[in-house]
Amino acid sequence: MATQTAVVVPDTTEETLGLLRSLRRGRARAQVANVAYWLYVLALVILIYAGWLVEAVFRALKHRPAPGPLTPELLRAAPAGLCALALLVLVSVLWDARWRGPVMVAQPTADWLLDTPVRRSRLLRPRFRRAAAMSALAGAVAGLVPAVLLLGAGLGGNGSGQSVRLAGTAMLSTGLLAALGTGAAALTEAHQNGRAPRAATIAIATAAVAIAGLAAVTAAVRLPALIATVLLWSGPWGWAAQGPVALAGGSAPLWPLATGLLAAAAVGLVVTGDRAAAHVPAAALRTRARTMGHMSAAVLNLDARRVTTAYRGAVGTYRRVRFGLRVPLQRWLVLPWRDVTALIRAPSRLVWSALLSFAAIGMGALAVRSPRASLLSLAAALTFGYLAAAGLCEGARLDGDDPSRSGHLPFRYETLVFWHAIVPSLALAVLAGGPAAALAIATGRLPLLALVVVAIPVLVGGALVNSFRGELEGQMFQGFETPLGNSYGATISLWYVTGPLLAIGPMIILLHRSISSPRAGTITTTVVLSIVLAACLGAIARGRARRLRST
Amino acid sequence: MTADVAPLLMLAGVSRSYGELEALKPVDLGVAMGQCVALLGVNGSGKSTLLRIAAGRDTPTTGQVRYGGAPLHEDDLVARTEIAVAGDASSTYPDLTVREHLMLVAVAHGGGQLAPSLVDGALEECRLADHGDALPGSLSSGQRQALQLAAVLVRPRRLLILDEPEQRLDPGARQWLADLLVAQKAAGAALLLATHHLELAEAVADEVIVLDDGQVIARGAPREALGSPR
Repeated sequence: MATQTAVVVPDTTEETLGLLRSLRRGRARAQVANVAYWLYVLALVILIYAGWLVEAVFRALKHRPAPGPLTPELLRAAPAGLCALALLVLVSVLWDARWRGPVMVAQPTADWLLDTPVRRSRLLRPRFRRAAAMSALAGAVAGLVPAVLLLGAGLGGNGSGQSVRLAGTAMLSTGLLAALGTGAAALTEAHQNGRAPRAATIAIATAAVAIAGLAAVTAAVRLPALIATVLLWSGPWGWAAQGPVALAGGSAPLWPLATGLLAAAAVGLVVTGDRAAAHVPAAALRTRARTMGHMSAAVLNLDARRVTTAYRGAVGTYRRVRFGLRVPLQRWLVLPWRDVTALIRAPSRLVWSALLSFAAIGMGALAVRSPRASLLSLAAALTFGYLAAAGLCEGARLDGDDPSRSGHLPFRYETLVFWHAIVPSLALAVLAGGPAAALAIATGRLPLLALVVVAIPVLVGGALVNSFRGELEGQMFQGFETPLGNSYGATISLWYVTGPLLAIGPMIILLHRSISSPRAGTITTTVVLSIVLAACLGAIARGRARRLRST
Repeated sequence: MTADVAPLLMLAGVSRSYGELEALKPVDLGVAMGQCVALLGVNGSGKSTLLRIAAGRDTPTTGQVRYGGAPLHEDDLVARTEIAVAGDASSTYPDLTVREHLMLVAVAHGGGQLAPSLVDGALEECRLADHGDALPGSLSSGQRQALQLAAVLVRPRRLLILDEPEQRLDPGARQWLADLLVAQKAAGAALLLATHHLELAEAVADEVIVLDDGQVIARGAPREALGSPR
């Protein structure tokens, strides 16, 4: 059918999609059966493992606690807090649009149907509508979280009818907000104009963090009511917050109007998004389909690392930078140079590690201030610290992903573990050590600074144990039968958390002991034992690296 | 250019940069009906980038792409109905047979009642007649490549864009491929082909363009261009 004249093709959209539907009818039935099976499994799991939790929530809602001493503060903070939550919902939907988006086709559809004359609107709009409906549903479920928090704090009246009204309003508002976000996300996909969506998402995320901070301040200090009013009318996020605020007992007298505005904006954006969905460029659809293909394969293999890599590839974590460090001439500086360069090329990793370090120090300070609650605070502090260390160990993870990558280096593969420990340890010492030192000086508890210093190599050691874990082995999926089912789920989970478990578990005990009785002897013992623990973790990581090299 | 007729596809001063990396330096190219232009060059020389731009699947940093005298964009209906790109579909529906994949393409392109006979013809021509009812997952890599070519044959086409179609084909199949492409040319289709296979380029192409590091280093009739690369 090679022709010399222009090709005229009738509209074959319905015929083609009908054919595809009929050819795949068997698969569609199998998919429905599959979904039904998983819903059944989910219900069973909830019933067996979390039934008591659901019952407890229902009981708590029925016999709600009376307002406590913190209830007025919570009510004061509610407008800003709920606005921040609403902005987080928007950010999550818009962030999703940057790499996946509501308008997406499966890879075979991208490969076999996109370059045919089938009408794109017929192909893409149903997908957008399905995504908008799912998003609204997920948003409605997410709306239960603030509702339960408010009701749990003794807000929202006494009767169960009032509880249902508050929960329903929160669900409706969040559902509408999520649908609105999905419409905006489709517009983002259709008009891919460079860095604007990324900048907008970051701006909204920053606003969410700032408003969350404002909520914390409002809880502690009484601020002018005008601030809350301005927030509640500042946009869809504020309109979404008004219903729950009003029904919780706060001041939002025009909340029905705000909810109406939110509904109108959501409908408007969904309709606009529906139109825009037909114009998402084929190139973007192909790229996204490919990314999702890679990601689905990684998820099915429970390969968290490949999921992360596919995600980073799609979002574009690595940016081209115009500056870099000069390649060192000394042999021993090569790997530290490579790790520093990796951090410079992905500065967001450094920023995240800094934020997590601050959070770790904050939780640590809380543990020191109230030793009775220190176990929980310490666990949180060490978890944040571990995450900060893990973020800085990307160079080690890259070598762990592919042992041949460093084959040309003049080092034995397993010794890379120690070389890769240098930069994360120093970076963490700067990021966490600075605020820790300031805090220690301010509180006059200088000896405790030693605990932060020794925790750093332990946390980095834990991160390195995980960096050199290699790929998930097929035999792990076999497991063995136990009264609670097959053990493979627990085995795989354990395999993923070995590093943090070995680092955080013992450190909680050691630090708790030192904080509870901060004598010189106890602190010295903790320091010595932490150094031993760090060495052990280094040895485990080295052993894992040796095994990786030999396989 | 060897043909005197106006080119169906025209690239003027087309270049492509990714940040500071200049993947393709300005290139002029024209393909007329019944003519074949072959792109040759090592991996990373810019052949696939040029093909993507020619198919409207990538936007050039500079220059213009015109198809039938009008600016080209992949999402335009005319591009989807007249330009067939082979070797592009890396995935397949896991539950559809080879024949069903081809039926889908034939029907989507207006094959209607003729679709079954078009599919049978393409299966025969691409040596897949015995595999019509097989799932693509069970095909060898060479047969999967043949499926890509069969998908091109069941649809109308004025311009055929092929990215290394000889890949994964055995030597016997390469001769079959050369014959197939010559037949397409004879039927009036314009062909733009990227290949590593000099014999294929020599057998099919009217003009050869040799690329190196994103730059044209030789061009002309096959014997002339292939005899004089730098």
